[in-house]
Amino acid sequence: MENFLHFLSDWSEIWALLIPLAFMLRYKNKYAYLKPVKGYIWVALLLNTAATLLWKFKVNLGFREGDFFWSNNFFYNIHSIARLLFFSWFFILLHQPFLVRLKKAIPLLFIVFVLVNFIFFEDFFYYWSFSGRLLSLETGLLLIYCLQYYFFVLREDHSEDKRPPSFWVVTGLSIYAVVNFPIFLFYMAFVKQFENFAINIWDVTNMAFTLFCIFLAKAFYESKH
Amino acid sequence: MNPNTDIRYLVIIGIAVMLLLFTSFLVALIFSQRKKLKYQKSMDKLREHQQNQLIEAAVRSEEQERHRIAETLHDEVGAILSSAKLHLLGIKAAVLDERDQKLHEKGRELLNDVIGKVRGISHNLHSNILKEFGLNEAIRHFIRKVTEGAFLNATTALDDNYQTENPDNDISIYRMVQELVNNILKYAHASEFLISSTLDSNVLNLVIFHNGDGLTQEQFEELRYQKEGLGLKNIQNRVILLKGNIHFTRGEEGYRINIHVPVSTSLKVEAKQDTAN
Repeated sequence: MENFLHFLSDWSEIWALLIPLAFMLRYKNKYAYLKPVKGYIWVALLLNTAATLLWKFKVNLGFREGDFFWSNNFFYNIHSIARLLFFSWFFILLHQPFLVRLKKAIPLLFIVFVLVNFIFFEDFFYYWSFSGRLLSLETGLLLIYCLQYYFFVLREDHSEDKRPPSFWVVTGLSIYAVVNFPIFLFYMAFVKQFENFAINIWDVTNMAFTLFCIFLAKAFYESKH
Repeated sequence: MNPNTDIRYLVIIGIAVMLLLFTSFLVALIFSQRKKLKYQKSMDKLREHQQNQLIEAAVRSEEQERHRIAETLHDEVGAILSSAKLHLLGIKAAVLDERDQKLHEKGRELLNDVIGKVRGISHNLHSNILKEFGLNEAIRHFIRKVTEGAFLNATTALDDNYQTENPDNDISIYRMVQELVNNILKYAHASEFLISSTLDSNVLNLVIFHNGDGLTQEQFEELRYQKEGLGLKNIQNRVILLKGNIHFTRGEEGYRINIHVPVSTSLKVEAKQDTAN
């Protein structure tokens, strides 16, 4: 049973994405703001498939320790950048008249951070780990986006019986960011000092990612009406 | 507890606290939205109630005005015209020459004509038959009157199980029928016309069918917001007042108008259907 759960967790980065993908292909919708989410699902599926296959079959693929492709960590860095950019686009497309400048500035500031960080401080293709700094900043920024969404909803006078698809996207994203922010913040320290804990806590990350995908599927399901 | 273990606990506690905060925030948000929704619904209900009151007041005042005009026409204009007729009849036609006799005769004819017309308008506005004999008889009488001499095969098949319990509602239904039938006669160029009603579980279903050029639901929705669509707007107002609905459809054989009005009524045992031509 434990082995099966581990197997599920190991492959969850791929199969979890198939849930929203199925709903996305099944239900066509008219919401323009879901376009970035669709784009994210395709890109995430591509990156996660590459990262998981490389991790599982690196020996079969003929890579040796020390080879560039022996580590799949850079895929997580790319995924992190892609996620923030796609969801920034999503929040901008919601056209909520609240903190508009901040929402537009976040992706630009993030790109500046990525360039400065990886030119001067960190190696983008660092062999032993992905960049904890990059991923924690990304989840922190996503959390800011999510909070401003909820504050806007709170301030709004109008309320509807049915929650819009955007609510489900943001809730899924919030859960993912809330769980992963502290993990990514200390991840480098875990890798150095508690390798086993770092490996085990990745299951929590995978669970949060699966929940996030289920919420995305719910958003596509709700968008069918 | 060594300092290294603290980091792991710190992260686990951090995740738990953040999840707790997030869940509380989400619950607060959902409650606030529900409260807002409840308030919105109560406001909508209040607005709808006010709108209905306004419509009711408008319809009632229109009815009162019709009544007043009908009474004035009948009691004052009608009386003056009758008096004028008496005076005219008092003239000895035999002593008049041939030209004056013709003028006298023509005057009498015109006076009879205008007395008849004034009486007709007065009855139409007052709807005495509606008050005395009920909705079905009033509709039958109205249809007979408006289709007299027209090249139109008109049929009525009304459910006599329907008994009036709220005369004000009947006036509204009657006015809607009047407006719709007048529109059909004016614009549809129909040769076949049928008006039928059925009473089903306290809902009166009226169907007006004709084979001319009618309206579809889309056209009705569009026209009732236009200046020229005052009659249609009145129909819609009366439908709102009666808490019923109206639907215009186009079929292969012609156009159909379905009106559903909730009524509180007792059933008569005998049912009667008739056909008027």
